[in-house]
Amino acid sequence: MLKLNNLTKSYGRIKAVNNINLEVRPGEIFGFLGPNGAGKTTTIKMIVGLLKPDEGMITLAGIDIWQEPLKAKSMISYVPDNPAVYDKLKGIEFLNFIADMYGISKEERLRKIDYFSKLFNIEHALENLISSYSHGMKQKLVLTSALINDPKLFILDEPMVGLDPKSSFNLKEIMRQMCDEGKIVFFSTHVMEVAERLCDRIAIINKGQIVTVGTMEELRSSAKDEETLEKIFLELTEDE
Amino acid sequence: MNKLLALVKVDFKNTYGFNSLIQSLKNRRNIWITLVMVLAILSLIPSYFMLVMGLVNLADAFFQIGQGSYFLQMGIFGSQALVFALGILYVLSKYYFASDLNQLVPLPIKPSYIIGSKFITLMFSEYLTSFPVLLPFIIIYGLKASKGVAYWVYSLIVILTMPIIPLVLASLLVMVFMKYTNLGDKKDLIRIISSIFFIVFIIWLQLTIQQLAMKSIELGDALFLNLAKDSLYLVKRLGIVFPPSMWATLALANTNVSGLLYLVLFLGISFVSIGLMIYLAERIFFDGLIGNIEVVAKERKARDLTRSVAVMKPYLAIAKKELLMLVKTPVYLLNSIGGVIIVPIILVMPILMGDESMDTITSLISDYPHFVNLITIGIIVVLAMVNSIGPTTFSREGKNLWIQRVLPIRARDQVLGRVLSSLAVQLLGILVLISAIYIINRIKAADILIITSLGLVGSIPMTQLGMVVDIARPMLDWDNPQRAMKQNFNVLVALGLGALFMMGLFFLVKNLIYKIDLIYIYLILFTIFITLAIILQGILEKMVERQFMELE
Repeated sequence: MLKLNNLTKSYGRIKAVNNINLEVRPGEIFGFLGPNGAGKTTTIKMIVGLLKPDEGMITLAGIDIWQEPLKAKSMISYVPDNPAVYDKLKGIEFLNFIADMYGISKEERLRKIDYFSKLFNIEHALENLISSYSHGMKQKLVLTSALINDPKLFILDEPMVGLDPKSSFNLKEIMRQMCDEGKIVFFSTHVMEVAERLCDRIAIINKGQIVTVGTMEELRSSAKDEETLEKIFLELTEDE
Repeated sequence: MNKLLALVKVDFKNTYGFNSLIQSLKNRRNIWITLVMVLAILSLIPSYFMLVMGLVNLADAFFQIGQGSYFLQMGIFGSQALVFALGILYVLSKYYFASDLNQLVPLPIKPSYIIGSKFITLMFSEYLTSFPVLLPFIIIYGLKASKGVAYWVYSLIVILTMPIIPLVLASLLVMVFMKYTNLGDKKDLIRIISSIFFIVFIIWLQLTIQQLAMKSIELGDALFLNLAKDSLYLVKRLGIVFPPSMWATLALANTNVSGLLYLVLFLGISFVSIGLMIYLAERIFFDGLIGNIEVVAKERKARDLTRSVAVMKPYLAIAKKELLMLVKTPVYLLNSIGGVIIVPIILVMPILMGDESMDTITSLISDYPHFVNLITIGIIVVLAMVNSIGPTTFSREGKNLWIQRVLPIRARDQVLGRVLSSLAVQLLGILVLISAIYIINRIKAADILIITSLGLVGSIPMTQLGMVVDIARPMLDWDNPQRAMKQNFNVLVALGLGALFMMGLFFLVKNLIYKIDLIYIYLILFTIFITLAIILQGILEKMVERQFMELE
């Protein structure tokens, strides 16, 4: 279970994330939606240990992420929206490095690297320098590196941006499969169709606060008519 | 002209990062850290003061033999040589390996504008190195010779224009060099290795010419006669090596009509040389550059994964990653690894070339071998700071730091891995240094063992000291690796702290050397190094843990 309790983060006087509470259960694909600047990335960065919350607590499987960071991080894999990676390393060197940090055995990493690099169609580029990769290839490399670890919490910021249709499809399959294995997939997106079709539950954040959370059906039933997610989103996030 | 100004403006902001500095100063926590940093830099002042006092004595000596202006020329020539030597490194990384070239080359700008704007920013970087060298000479000479207003006005002009000729020379050499080494996909490596040879060659050449000039000074009675006859005798001799140093000296030594003429000559040649550089830039700059900034993705046959995949302990994997990044990023390679190779060679070369003034040192080496051990250990420990690996280790991560922060890496492994990468580079420096000393005077295996082990152990706290400075205020917001390595304030701060540490060690050894047996001095040094290493490791682990959480 991933729990966010009274999470708050401010930049100066602006509250980027304002006292949010969320619970994501194992086996759930959780979509995190919101307009630009709503606090999605800030929240995600707090979960993965890149931004220290001003207040509140985040726990994963009962472990406080900010009290026992090493334990927590060994269960988390994160794919940022615009991944910067070590340009001067070869793809395979980068994957090896990540695997070393998670302490993954040779057999296991061989199997994972082989499987995911073929799935994302980057196996031919693994011996090349990352600086020669296109944006999409870099993203696929980071996805592969994030999956080497077999994480309990797979957290992605705008994962579909920059991916070709086939890789995007494959990623969705992987997310579903992880979910079936009882893991948590938490991702932010702007693409309503993806959220609508893929997510078990959805939260919409606006101006740092969660404005609604629930399954697609729950969201629909609380809306005025039987609406699409897009309409619900627009209704909930429009300026009063 | 507008384009040039715009380029200079952007390059200045990019190079010196005023915007981000002001931004970071707005954060109260950073103000404290900055204050500590400023104090650390101030700690360089005592050693600088000692050097300046030494110069005053030197000036007295030259004034006594009626060759005061030679003292002035030594300062001018010395700073020109420094500008030239550093210039080669600066020009290489700024003209050819900077990442802003990716944006500049496709724009409709003439190559001469790109070079011109970069040249102007480099001039300012060079001021930072030339002022501390040149100013004491100018001021001491001016005061001792009781010079008038004209001297100080001329001096100002000379100080400001002094870097032009050596920097143009460096630019010309590098441009020609790059045009003819634009070869294949291993060109980066070819260039780096050959530029190290190139720099060593230039130093050799300079020393040779200098020796020739010195040999042309007649010895015995003739020398005294010449010294008495001509107060500019020595100036003219050294002028054979590098005439611009003589023109500038003569302009300042006599501020009458002939001085003015020399000043005009000095300025004239300076500006003509800029013209020559611009002319050449238009013709050959792109030849050396194109192909340099693109990365070729070769259709390599996918290698058998079992051969490419290897399991490593986290701290070793971090050390390996650090080394790979150091070797594959030209700016890093040139400054860190290049530094530990070039500095020992520069130190040893005058002795190797049989410079007579070095005879004392050579005989010292054979008479007091233990001095050699102690001095060599000292040099190695200093190299650990000069290699800049410690004070840039976190800054060099730049935008990639998120990777280190989201991974479950123990602070102990973070620190250990990074120290190990510095030690690997140090080992290379030690190898070069010991080989050089071995050529001068065959040292014993036992001495090699002592030098290597104490040098390596001493490099640990030095690297850690740099890391403490870096993790306190890492410079992460950069697009050009040059900024992480060469325009990183942390390097300067770490040098200041390192200099204090070395001064402490020096006085300790100086006091002990005739009182106790050498073996005990080694033991004391070893104990100091190890104790400091353990303490700093502890401090670093705490700081890394905290900063990896706190950084935003």
